[in-house]
Amino acid sequence: MAGALMLSSCGGLGGISPIFPTPVSPNGQGIYDLYLLISIPAIIVFIGVEAALLWVVLRYRRSKQPAGYVPPQIHGHNGLEVAWTIVPLAIVLAISLVSFQELQKDFQPINNQQMLVVVSGHQFGWIYTYENGVKVDQEGTLAGDVTPFVVPVNTLIKLQFQGTDVIHSWWVPAISGKTDAVPGYDNFSWLKISQPGTWRGECAELCGAGHSTMQIIVQAMDQADYDQWMQTQLAASNASPSPSPSPSPSASPSPSPSASPKPSATPS
Amino acid sequence: MATTVLPRPKTYDDSFFRPISLWLTTTDHKLIGIMYMVTGVLSFVVGGIFALVIRLQLSQPNLKVVDAETYNQLISAHGVTMIFFFVTIFLTGIANYMVPIMIGARDMAFPRVNLLGFWLVPVSIILYYSGFFTGGALDAGWTGYAPLTEKAYQSHSLGVDFWAMSIIVWAISGIMASTNFLTTIVALRAPGMKLTRLPLFVWAQISTSILLLVVGAPLAAAMILIEFDRQLGTQFFTTQGRPVLYQHLFWFFGHPEVYIMILPGFGMISEIIPVFARKPIFGYMSMVMALFGIVFLSMTVWAHHMFTVGMNTYVETFFMVMTMLIAVPTGIKFFNWIATAWWGSIEFTVPMKFVFGFLATFLIGGITGVYLASVPVDTQLHQSYYVVAHLHYVLFGGSVFTIFAGLYYWFPKITGRTLNRTLGEWNFWTLFVGFNGTFLIMHTLGLEGMPRRIATYTNQAWATTNTIITVSSFLIAFSVLLFLINVVRSWQGGEIAGNDPWGGNTLEWATTSPPPPYNFERVPPIRSFMPLRDLREAGEFVDPEPKPALA
Ligand code: HEM
Ligand SMILES: [Cu+2]
Ligand SMILES: [Cu+2]
Repeated sequence: MAGALMLSSCGGLGGISPIFPTPVSPNGQGIYDLYLLISIPAIIVFIGVEAALLWVVLRYRRSKQPAGYVPPQIHGHNGLEVAWTIVPLAIVLAISLVSFQELQKDFQPINNQQMLVVVSGHQFGWIYTYENGVKVDQEGTLAGDVTPFVVPVNTLIKLQFQGTDVIHSWWVPAISGKTDAVPGYDNFSWLKISQPGTWRGECAELCGAGHSTMQIIVQAMDQADYDQWMQTQLAASNASPSPSPSPSPSASPSPSPSASPKPSATPS
Repeated sequence: MATTVLPRPKTYDDSFFRPISLWLTTTDHKLIGIMYMVTGVLSFVVGGIFALVIRLQLSQPNLKVVDAETYNQLISAHGVTMIFFFVTIFLTGIANYMVPIMIGARDMAFPRVNLLGFWLVPVSIILYYSGFFTGGALDAGWTGYAPLTEKAYQSHSLGVDFWAMSIIVWAISGIMASTNFLTTIVALRAPGMKLTRLPLFVWAQISTSILLLVVGAPLAAAMILIEFDRQLGTQFFTTQGRPVLYQHLFWFFGHPEVYIMILPGFGMISEIIPVFARKPIFGYMSMVMALFGIVFLSMTVWAHHMFTVGMNTYVETFFMVMTMLIAVPTGIKFFNWIATAWWGSIEFTVPMKFVFGFLATFLIGGITGVYLASVPVDTQLHQSYYVVAHLHYVLFGGSVFTIFAGLYYWFPKITGRTLNRTLGEWNFWTLFVGFNGTFLIMHTLGLEGMPRRIATYTNQAWATTNTIITVSSFLIAFSVLLFLINVVRSWQGGEIAGNDPWGGNTLEWATTSPPPPYNFERVPPIRSFMPLRDLREAGEFVDPEPKPALA
């Protein structure tokens, strides 16, 4: 119930929204805007063609034609063929171009991050390893809320995805698109959440019987709250060092590839 | 000679019930075609039942109609059944029946290969379903991504092995059929049937056959490598190997497969519109060129299913642009169809209704395809219910609507009897409403974050939408039931059709319904891609068996 309220308060109309949840990270915003942009030609083409079909159905049915009407026996028209080749071509090339620009803007590997988190998917859950070694174990469940992955607001966080067994896919629609966690190599993405709050997602790649339990919760906190949360985590992990559950070679998290946080800068 | 009087065939048994031995051993392309089609329709029913269970499970959050293991087997079996055992098989059947007749041939080029190719299909089907009795069938989706299908994660059952074997057999059968079609069309055309006079359905079958011939072998190769991994301990796609390589191999088949499932439908649409609009097809040559544009492009787009695996953005851009380009030849076909109907004198028979149902819905699938082709947008939509909606708009709104159109159109030729029109209208309208009710709002679930292939969900906000979808899906089931009743009733006691009930353009209407085993006693002269219409206009065509007056 709380989840439902949360989701609908985050922009969804609750089941029939024709658009993504309101994005809270610039890369999600980029996709959102691109989606709207593509919708302009899409809606025009949709209405235009459906209207043409409707016109044909209503106007050219035999009962609407004069008795004995013999349709003109036209075999084609080169000018028209050229027109309906060029116009769609121009439209899809334009869409490709803006998509390419968004791809260059928000989908390139970044290295000006302020923080790096290794996100590792396994059957069935996610483990988030921060640069200081703190781990959040987001074990999958349907019984209640999973442990949230906590991040500070307005911080450019690079995400490094790893898969330890099969392929999983990390997806929180309000933040951005999904990234696969594939065994054997690492994938990268990033987020920079603009406001405190909680956002939900799920694993998007069928990974076995527990796939639907692989819920994701991302919780963004003000820097002060985040620091406090991190202190608690550190204290807890010092008290009882968490056993590392990942013997797979590719899963060994690299704690500090860029230990010194660089000054804040969005990649755009 | 001024009149071509086609001979009345010798007594022809037009009932379905023939000795079993005849069905088992016949090399007649028509009987083989019927067996393919019946297999396809039965698979449609089975796959549909799986779908209904899936929909019951999802109708509300946190349901336990089936458990997660079973659910995963059901979605896999639904996808495999619909794609491999229904649509592709049914379309092979209708082409098997119609292509030789439409080109004025007596049979396929290799009748025995044809029979063998058909009987491999039940073998493939039985192999696949054997998984259910050996610890569980495939449960990794119809795509069967590694490493989920590897021994380390699927040791408890033989389902994956049976799936792999089933698909290998299926691919061999498909390669046989494609070779046969291509040879037949190249070598056995009647005198006068130049390539430029081929009916567009035959051109579509050429395109389809080329595609299946090219991509069938890589599919079998992927399955063989999986079996190497599972049985011989190789590491092609395992966690230690390269799982993504599997995706490349699979989708090199998988994307062309969607065109294998739609191009014959495009062909049927191109045959049916001119007949009922009483106008020749608009832009015959551009229709043919568009087909080959699609054939070429469809083999260069496979990685658009892999935009989240972490490819280089320039590689992604290549696949994005190629995918976008497919909209161009598809658009050309669309506009030519509309132009064909424009200024026509359209008779909205049941097949024509399905044609317009197809046009109205397939358009939506085409447009959502452009969103999905855009890499950034796809990272959101990929593997969500948006994709499930999209794929049903192209496969159901596309392939299934064209299959119904083709069936209502050709049933009179195949059985000699017309499908009941009233039931047909009901069939169409319930399907159209049920289909859109099921799949239109599914897009929004995906936009809001519901992933596909989840056995259940906790989000209450998705509950109402899912309930509406489930209710609508039962309307589809009702519609299919009407269709089955119609087929059974009409096959036995339907109105006698006569040889040319629609005023057709192509050769199949120049012989009896159903055609004699040898198809034509004498093939009519062929002077254009509408040979029958030419004859009718020249006053030379005499119906070999006029409609009985009492019908
Ligand atoms: C009664 C009509 C149908 C209904 C209600 C239906 C429903 C569904 C649903 C709900 C799913 C998603 C399952 C999931 O992701 O958890 C699905 C998947 C799928 N459907 Fe259908 N479907 C129907 C007919 C068809 C037809 C006619 C085709 C093909 C011609 C088809 C092809 C597929 C494929 C390929 C998948 C993907 C399976 C996978 O994820 O591996 N469906 N269907
Ligand atoms: Cu998963
Ligand atoms: Cu594709």
